Amino acid sequence: MEAPPVTMMPVTGGTINMMEYLLQGSVLDQSLESLLHRLRGLCDNMEPETFLDHEMVFLLKGQQASPFVLRARRSMDKTGMPWHLRYLGQPEIGDKNRHALVRNCVDIATSENLTDFLVEMGFRMDHEFVAKGHVFRKGIMKIVVYKIFRILMPGNTESIEPLSLSYLVELSVVAPAGQDMVSDDMRNFAEQLKPLVHLEKIDPKRLM
Amino acid sequence: MVAQSADLAQPLLKNLQLVVPMTEVPCVHQWMVLANITHIGDPPGFCQLVDFPLDLITWTLTWPKFWNLLLGFALDLREEKQLEVTLEALISQVADLKNSLVSFIYKLENEYDRLTWPSVLDSFALLSGQLNTLNKVLKHEKTPLLRNQVIIPLVLSPDRDEEIMRQTEGRVPVFSHEVVPDHLRTKPDPEVEEQEKQLITDAARISPDVAQKQIQSLNKMCSNLLEKISKEERESESGGLRQNKQTFNPTDTNALVAAVAFGKGLSNRRPPGSGGPVQSGQPGTGPIIAGASGMQQVQISGAPTPQQPMLAGVQMSQASQPGKMPSGIKTNIKSASMHPYQR
Repeated sequence: MEAPPVTMMPVTGGTINMMEYLLQGSVLDQSLESLLHRLRGLCDNMEPETFLDHEMVFLLKGQQASPFVLRARRSMDKTGMPWHLRYLGQPEIGDKNRHALVRNCVDIATSENLTDFLVEMGFRMDHEFVAKGHVFRKGIMKIVVYKIFRILMPGNTESIEPLSLSYLVELSVVAPAGQDMVSDDMRNFAEQLKPLVHLEKIDPKRLM
Repeated sequence: MVAQSADLAQPLLKNLQLVVPMTEVPCVHQWMVLANITHIGDPPGFCQLVDFPLDLITWTLTWPKFWNLLLGFALDLREEKQLEVTLEALISQVADLKNSLVSFIYKLENEYDRLTWPSVLDSFALLSGQLNTLNKVLKHEKTPLLRNQVIIPLVLSPDRDEEIMRQTEGRVPVFSHEVVPDHLRTKPDPEVEEQEKQLITDAARISPDVAQKQIQSLNKMCSNLLEKISKEERESESGGLRQNKQTFNPTDTNALVAAVAFGKGLSNRRPPGSGGPVQSGQPGTGPIIAGASGMQQVQISGAPTPQQPMLAGVQMSQASQPGKMPSGIKTNIKSASMHPYQR
């Protein structure tokens, strides 16, 4: 686990230690419709929800080897929504008994001057992207299917191009630490999406 | 006494009229008789259906004879009642079945263009369930043997019968010699019966050994056929899979995961030291631009300012080049500082 260069004690000390359980996969553009169709059938009956978000990833380098990363996200298609600041810990693959990737996570809603604040603190933006896609829920599980767009001109979210011909599919649950049972539900759900999408625990370190 | 013979083995007619000598039946016993009829399990008041003109004396009857008669009469009534109940149940089941069939046919005829397979299956499931219920009613232990009931056409008429028209919903307009054999048929055609008999005698002629052999060969054929069908099914399934296999691409998965995890492939497009275009300013892009350009400015200005001690310190320790630096080198620092995170 990375230790934050600035004091972050309140985050892990006082509040509940929340963990995000994550499975990832992707679907090709031409199969998106069948996946959405299946998800509509499998998930809770709710209004189809789409999102268009702009995410900026900020780094703070300290004496430690790995930098401290914060993610700022804002909605581009809905006005009046708060910005979303997110801290994600180092993912743990775990053993075979746990069917999902687990990482620490802290989610905070913020005002819109978040970027200024981060920059003032000494963070600098590492990269940014636009995410556009669909959200589904089933109980506490959240399923997002979205396309990642590169931003051609920094800061200009109008000129974007898709990163690939696939949509990223993420199945996640945010739960207090130690609730590994949720990963069983996630595995079961992921089974139902096969063979359309294979949701797996993917170690990002492997892809560095 | 009775309109029919006193022999209890003979079924009694429904409209049997009991004429009992009043003198022979004391008041107490009258009540006993009635109580016993109701005791058999019929609803209260049922015995009132039976017409007892007790004050008429037309026959002499000893008390035990009368008792037996009444008991047989009550049993007969009970059977009749059961038949009635069964018929009612059968009629309601058949009506349900008919309604389901009607709605299914309606669906097939009017919604065939948007009919889905699951909904067809639902209809089938409903029909099969109703047929099962019907069978259960028929096989119920309380159901009297329906084959013992005989229906005889009393009147055949070539004229149009409005009542039958109404009861059959316009399907049978006349009750004539033409339709009766079909509608009241309880046995197969004589020809079919003959063929069946033939088959049964044929079957009886075969020796057990031969029969055993035939059974074995038939079983073998069936299992072979089943195997072929399931093999075919499996192949077509895997063929279908092969056809649809390209629903996802593991390379894309990895690329996308790497992109969200640490921006792989996202910042490559940004030319190194591209503070320029950002600083030139895009009006109306709001706080993001302000933040981004602010960050770039920090990078380029390089000189440690009191406001950013942390970042400046980091840069210096990494570059180990305190003091003045040309801006080109600073660009390198920037990419170098990004590198370890990206890798």
